[in-house]
Amino acid sequence: MKEKWNFIFYLIWFSYLIMSAVLMFGHGFLLSRKTMSDITECQHLETFDCSGRERGNSSIEESCTLDEKIKQILSVTGSPLICAPSHGRVVFILVDALRYDFTEYDDKLENPLPYQNRLPVMQRTLELCPDCVRLFRFIADPPTTTLQRVKALVTGSLPTFIDASSNFAAMELQEDNIIDQVVNAGHHAVLLGDDTWSRLMPRRWFRAHTMYSFHTWDLDTVDIEVDSKIYDELKKDDWDLLVAHYLGVDHAGHRYGPNHSEMKRKLDETNARIEKIIEIIPKDVILYVVGDHGMTESVLHEMDHKGDHGGESKAERTAAMFAYRGAGFGGQSPDIQTGREVQQTDLAPTMSAAFGRPPPAPSLGNILFPVLPKMTVAETLLHLTNSLKQVSQYLVRYGEESQQVSLDRLAHLINATREQIEKAATVKTEDDLSIYVSNVRLLMDNVRIVFREVWVEFDTVSMLRALLLLILVIFFNWLIVEGIPIERLPNIFASTFVSCGLISMAICVSVCYTVFHFELLEDVHHGVILSTGLISSALTCVLVIMHWDGISQRWYEGRSPIYERFARGALMASAAVLLSNSYIIEEGAELSFLALSVLGTIAWNIGTIKAFTLWVGFGATLVISRSYRGCREEQGDCWTSIGVGSTGQASRTALVMALGSMAAVVAIARRHVGWRGHGVVLAGLFACAHWALGWGALGSPSRSRQLARGSWLILGSMFVLLWKRERFGAILPLIVCSLLFFIANALVLGASFAPSAALGLLAGYLALNVVSMMKNGNSKFSLSTRCSSSVACMWALLASYQFYGTGHHATLGHVRWAPAFHAGDPNYLPIGPFVTGALVSLELFGMPFMFGAAVPLLALWGRNGAAAAGPRTQMAAVFTLCLKFGLCFAVRVFMSALSATIHCRHLMIWGVFTPKLLFESGACAAALLGTVVGATLTAWHVPTQIKPS
Amino acid sequence: MFAFNTQLELRRITISSLITCIYLPSIVTVISYRGSLYYVGKGSSFYILVLIFIAELLKSFYLSAPNDIQGKKGKTSKTKASDVLKSFVFLLGVNFCFFIGIILFGAPVLDLHEETLMLSTLLTILTIFPLILHSGVECSMQLLFGVKSFARDTVVEMLVNNAMLTVCGAWLGAVVIPLDWNTPWQQWPIPCYLGAIGGYLLANVLTVFKATLMTAAYKYPAVNFLVMILNKLRVSK
Repeated sequence: MKEKWNFIFYLIWFSYLIMSAVLMFGHGFLLSRKTMSDITECQHLETFDCSGRERGNSSIEESCTLDEKIKQILSVTGSPLICAPSHGRVVFILVDALRYDFTEYDDKLENPLPYQNRLPVMQRTLELCPDCVRLFRFIADPPTTTLQRVKALVTGSLPTFIDASSNFAAMELQEDNIIDQVVNAGHHAVLLGDDTWSRLMPRRWFRAHTMYSFHTWDLDTVDIEVDSKIYDELKKDDWDLLVAHYLGVDHAGHRYGPNHSEMKRKLDETNARIEKIIEIIPKDVILYVVGDHGMTESVLHEMDHKGDHGGESKAERTAAMFAYRGAGFGGQSPDIQTGREVQQTDLAPTMSAAFGRPPPAPSLGNILFPVLPKMTVAETLLHLTNSLKQVSQYLVRYGEESQQVSLDRLAHLINATREQIEKAATVKTEDDLSIYVSNVRLLMDNVRIVFREVWVEFDTVSMLRALLLLILVIFFNWLIVEGIPIERLPNIFASTFVSCGLISMAICVSVCYTVFHFELLEDVHHGVILSTGLISSALTCVLVIMHWDGISQRWYEGRSPIYERFARGALMASAAVLLSNSYIIEEGAELSFLALSVLGTIAWNIGTIKAFTLWVGFGATLVISRSYRGCREEQGDCWTSIGVGSTGQASRTALVMALGSMAAVVAIARRHVGWRGHGVVLAGLFACAHWALGWGALGSPSRSRQLARGSWLILGSMFVLLWKRERFGAILPLIVCSLLFFIANALVLGASFAPSAALGLLAGYLALNVVSMMKNGNSKFSLSTRCSSSVACMWALLASYQFYGTGHHATLGHVRWAPAFHAGDPNYLPIGPFVTGALVSLELFGMPFMFGAAVPLLALWGRNGAAAAGPRTQMAAVFTLCLKFGLCFAVRVFMSALSATIHCRHLMIWGVFTPKLLFESGACAAALLGTVVGATLTAWHVPTQIKPS
Repeated sequence: MFAFNTQLELRRITISSLITCIYLPSIVTVISYRGSLYYVGKGSSFYILVLIFIAELLKSFYLSAPNDIQGKKGKTSKTKASDVLKSFVFLLGVNFCFFIGIILFGAPVLDLHEETLMLSTLLTILTIFPLILHSGVECSMQLLFGVKSFARDTVVEMLVNNAMLTVCGAWLGAVVIPLDWNTPWQQWPIPCYLGAIGGYLLANVLTVFKATLMTAAYKYPAVNFLVMILNKLRVSK
């Protein structure tokens, strides 16, 4: 029985191949950025003496003008950042999705579209006072979603889809930003409008009036709320920065598209607001009205092209920026032209400069002097050098923290910025200054382009390589499980095939590291994944060629029955529809439909009343679990009817259901699992007590947490006890293992979702019983029926469905973080982040994990299961099923990766396809891990000697 | 698909299928011209079901009309009120089963019962009803529960084949529901309703096609090849 461990090794090998390819894909596709918590500090001018050096203890009063002092300071190399002497007040109005062409005014237009000529106030003030008004194209960087845009506006950086930071649980912005700069300088900031801002930057605001605003269908509530507050706020003078966020235009775009009378109404409202604000604000207050992104053009008479955003088309990227200051702006003629393109990253340093502060630490923008008050040459230089110094600090720090940008490029940029800083002292006249300004702008553009490449552009090569590896692995393993006759499998795995494979993988890895050591290879992880993947494919290919006679004979002889072909078709369909966003949104319903159909054909094939009843029970379980399926934002009706933020404390009914389901499962299962039942009962009791004590006012949170910990302890020890060898074979330990995983799942799901885990368990049990009734032809046990791909496909579809059945959805907003804290705050532990990650992923993917661990049962369970056969047959059957199950998930991951590649310029890539890819990879990893655990448990408990039968 | 035993059966099956191929599309065309295609799920369009019911009834009279002297003896006279009642109850039961099955497959549980009921009634009329008309309640029950096999009876085989394709059509119709095209015909249960009709129609078209080919094969033996291919395309085992 040497081969039984070879089976396990092969499963691990297979899982490694799939997951490494997925990782490689993610590396090329998921753009990530390292966030750093550095903060730009500046020193006040008073701390310097007239020679430009920092004043020591001497309190000699010198007299020199500010300009001279600044020039002196600039001439000193290595001087720190200086706070500018003057500061103003700013009103910052963010009109969500204000596209640039909304602001244009053309009175010659005969039939203006609903969104044209709606903001005449901008044009009128521009004609009245050309120096008071600037109107620019405000170019956003993708992804053009509001959250990312708000981050970009306040930090001046280029946020990616995933900003990797140390604390991944909170939404709070970890980086330096304008609001922090303003607050740190002792100024006051007031916030009105969308609560994205207060969630991103809590505790900074002097006053905040925010509203939850995720109801895309709601056009007016937030706007009316802001309107009711803003005019009073504008009349007060205790703030320095006033932020107001209007959402109506964006929501009108989402709901109706720009070509609609609602859009006309919202733009007219905006026009009236700006007019009123311009009247109210004092002359020295700067008003910025900006759009954070545009929206796509809607085609008239077509409902499906709405004013959406998220991608990187020109219409989505071109927002508008309107600046007004009664006392006039600075800037010179080519720069102040209306319609000039400026980057959104420029806003953060510009606003900081308006407050006399240096740019926020991660900012990569230029200071826009045309929208700042007129300044002297010295002051302008001060701002410019501040921004240069901040960027060079950022470059140095980013080089220390991350290897995304190659070191020589960074060094080149750092040198260039230092050179420019030194040049600042030589600038004397206005002409010199304008040349200097344009030089600095060029340099900053270069810096931004370098970072854009790593943050915003996909690495197509590694994406395509990963797809190639995935398809190779899937293809050859499919040939192995579907082609090679099952009778041969034990012999193949008893041979040196697996050890050869593992040794060659080890050689590959060591060669890669050696080559990396001699600096012939740049990216060692990439190299390792690619070479091991290719070598494994070559090995499996050799195996397939060696057994080609068997494969061709099996294919020639056998035509698989209809239900099996149907099951394969259903799995393929479930994978193929991942290419369409509407199916991804409705995937819960689709998966239950397919799982039910596949099980239905199996039951039809069995053709007994009992199988049919079990099938109906299975369907009923899926129907009941529908009530736990949540809604996502895109499911309009469902989303608005359920409302937002309903989760949290479980209701009384939910608690009773949770206790009842847990008690029922434990009570029924206890009798059939021998002495292990005591452990299961105890763990279940602890879990119930944990929920009951944690519930409502009567609870005591600390005791509840202790009970949860107790439950985990029992689960852990029971899991260890699973490895105690007994002579009853593998079925009992596998059942106990599934029960333990069920309790763990229910624990992390919490009281409000625990019954859905019980439903998942029940559905699995019913399906298992249907499978165990499958017709075997004449013999007692036939490998070809019990290990057919229809069983594996059905099980994989069910496991994927349970992700939705336990109340999840493939969006990042649906990740619940509460499970990480149900047994106390793990952050105090040395392995805190690990525990948090494990608990949250168990909560998300616990069901695929449990189903993966239960795969061997499919082959062993029942009167005519493989358990009665010899150990070699048992292991071969379990292995085949496990590999098929893994392949089903691999196919789904491959398709979601493919759809992400195909749709990488799609409107919904960040909203729908990328989260789907992430969650599908997670489910695949959990399922593979689960199968490895289940198969290992089987191999451990399989009797070693062959029974005489 | 199936083999035809006698020339007479062949003719009957062909003609009844032809009638289906004519009357079903005409009904669909008429209701789509009247603009009530989008209301097939409402109770107000119950008359469509009645029409189909009557058509099937008439068809079955033709299909199972006594063809020889022994049959003439008195099957017609034996049809009693109790038989009618029994089959009515049986139909209701099947209808309920379809109703439950559709809900299991994903129809809304708590609302839209009217629509689901219309769909299940259509499925009952298209699948089980012709079977009952042809072979009676007991025999169809035996067929359903697998007690009796239908291998010998060509007409029953054809009817079972029709039923299968109808259910498959309804199943396939669900494919378009989740798409975000926002068209009026994506409302529940229109795609499944039309899918069921389409499946039934397809089955009948295939029958006619095959019968035509077989008739042709008497004259031109080369066509037998096509018949063989069609035989391979069986839906059920």
